[in-house]
Amino acid sequence: MKIFRVNMTDLTAQIEDVPAEWQGLGGRALTSAVVAKEVEPTCHPLGKKNKLVFAPGLLTGSQAPNSGRLSVGAKSPLTGGIKESNAGGTASQKLARMGVKALIIEGQPEGDNFYGIHIDKDGIKIEKEADLVGKGNYEVIQRLVEKYSNQIGVITIGQAGESKLTAANISVKDPDGNIRSAGRGGLGAVMGSKRVKYITIDDNGAAPVQIVDSDKFKDAAKVFAKGLLEHPVTGQGLPTYGTNVLVNILNEAGGLPTQNFKTGRFEGANKISGETMHDVIESRKGKTSHGCHAGCVIKCSQIYNDKDGNYLTSGFEYETIWGFGADCCIDDLDIIAQADRICDDIGIDSIETAVTVGVAMEGGVIPFGDGPGLLKLLGEIKEGTYLGRILGNGAGFTGKALGVTRVPVVKNQGIPAYDPRAVKGVGLTYATSPMGADHTAGYSVATNILKVGGDVNPLGKEGNVELSRNLQIATAAVDSTGLCLFVAFCILDNAEAFQAIIDMLNAEYGISLTADDVTELGKFVLRTEREFNKAAGFTDKDDRLPEFFSDECPPHNTTWDFTDEEIDEVFNF
Amino acid sequence: MKLEIRLFAGLKCNNKGLSCYGENEFCLEVPDGLTIRELHHMLNLQSSLPLVNLINGLAQADDQVLKDTDRVGIFPPVGGG
Ligand code: SF4
Repeated sequence: MKIFRVNMTDLTAQIEDVPAEWQGLGGRALTSAVVAKEVEPTCHPLGKKNKLVFAPGLLTGSQAPNSGRLSVGAKSPLTGGIKESNAGGTASQKLARMGVKALIIEGQPEGDNFYGIHIDKDGIKIEKEADLVGKGNYEVIQRLVEKYSNQIGVITIGQAGESKLTAANISVKDPDGNIRSAGRGGLGAVMGSKRVKYITIDDNGAAPVQIVDSDKFKDAAKVFAKGLLEHPVTGQGLPTYGTNVLVNILNEAGGLPTQNFKTGRFEGANKISGETMHDVIESRKGKTSHGCHAGCVIKCSQIYNDKDGNYLTSGFEYETIWGFGADCCIDDLDIIAQADRICDDIGIDSIETAVTVGVAMEGGVIPFGDGPGLLKLLGEIKEGTYLGRILGNGAGFTGKALGVTRVPVVKNQGIPAYDPRAVKGVGLTYATSPMGADHTAGYSVATNILKVGGDVNPLGKEGNVELSRNLQIATAAVDSTGLCLFVAFCILDNAEAFQAIIDMLNAEYGISLTADDVTELGKFVLRTEREFNKAAGFTDKDDRLPEFFSDECPPHNTTWDFTDEEIDEVFNF
Repeated sequence: MKLEIRLFAGLKCNNKGLSCYGENEFCLEVPDGLTIRELHHMLNLQSSLPLVNLINGLAQADDQVLKDTDRVGIFPPVGGG
């Protein structure tokens, strides 16, 4: 495999050998290693010194189930720290088959032009793009499919990325031409700052990825697929109800942040729940189960149609529905679906944007529960009005602009869908992850609430530091393989399936990793990321939750009560 | 005593003899001292898998004795995130 490097300052590209130190890395381990090595930690994230890195995981492109995820890394304009954002879609598998270990985009062109980057068997082409500038992601993907073919991989930014809004995301085409996103941390703004509107990948003529011991690989892949299909969460729960099954459950557990994190239960929860959504999708002839890339056997995604049975949105996730729903007190699933579609189209993180609108509602811009008002605010972001630009820069920025003190962010990134006072394990992850507030970085909700991988009391302190630490380490390793993080629900309970991942890695590369090596990989990733943040100016004091979490949160009336010393223990390894 | 019951992720009352048959959100009069396990049987919840019980928002084991006005939520293994 090779490093594909694009220099946007002089519009040149080259293909390089992979340095020895990066050879055993993939996905997040690789994007973070590249950023740590090549990006000055104190640089301006939207300036010429930042770099945008795309890396398929170690197993991506192979027949390993659920292995097609893409890691995108850079210094984040939202947090000011290192960022890895993870997406589905078809691009990652195509990059891997093209032999792309990582695609590094660096520099910055003079002038106002935008460019498209095309990768195919002949190499890398950089071309000026005018027609698609100012267009939303749905149109960009459709026009590029018309230009090349349906089989093309597309990575693109919408208007938010072009405007360098710090909540802008990067969109990736899924198998149906719809959108998956590398959502968090404003990486769309970094792509916009490089003036890259899209990247297309044509893997026509590419050879399959090389597997050193293909029999062993096939056996291990079979064991892994069986584990995923037999586990009740990955085999049944996720495919049937998607991630949105969590609305009712978090509501019942008193941890569904409502009205900008004022309480932990939302009266309208059932109206926006996964169960309701499942019935709506079926009645409108959408799809309740859908994979974001070929080879996904879990298929947690779905296609949500409007009242007339026309496609409205897909990849309609719990966190988005929670955010525009409970957090903004909107109990209309169709409004939330429209909001999700607009976010995908203009290319803005739906979690950050939902948290931001909650803050804006608190600041009196529109009342809580105002669905049409929400859609209007998203229109302001699309148009790039001054209000839209404030909102598009995220919850922290908006809170400051409006003088709001209840602003749920850590390292300036919006806190997602689980109240840290009622799900304390994930609160520790929000506080300490080098990514800023990110539930996926160490999903303690699994053990706190869903009782997967054990049972740790969500309201107490006991066991939560270890839980968050162990999950953050394991997650950093999984994010490096290209596997979808949802495989964790299975491997937390099924040692055979976990071993199968190691067996696949060993068979693909002809190596002999052990479980301890995988843990060490996870630690290496976290240490690399934390060192970058430290050099960028972060201290332990940045690993804290906002002050308002010391206020009680009904219904349990719990507070965030970890001491600084206890929080700092999470990264003591 | 009276319980406020919510069943999630496809669970429904499967006891034809109860007025809440086929429902997933209802109030139910039950004998004093009923355990969660007995409630599972009473509702004939069809799950080959262990269920998670949230009583007034707190996870409880199947042998927990229920009290009057308890808010009961029950769900099979699910995930998301
Ligand atoms: S389980 Fe969901 S997020 Fe994971 S690979 Fe499949 S569709 Fe994508």
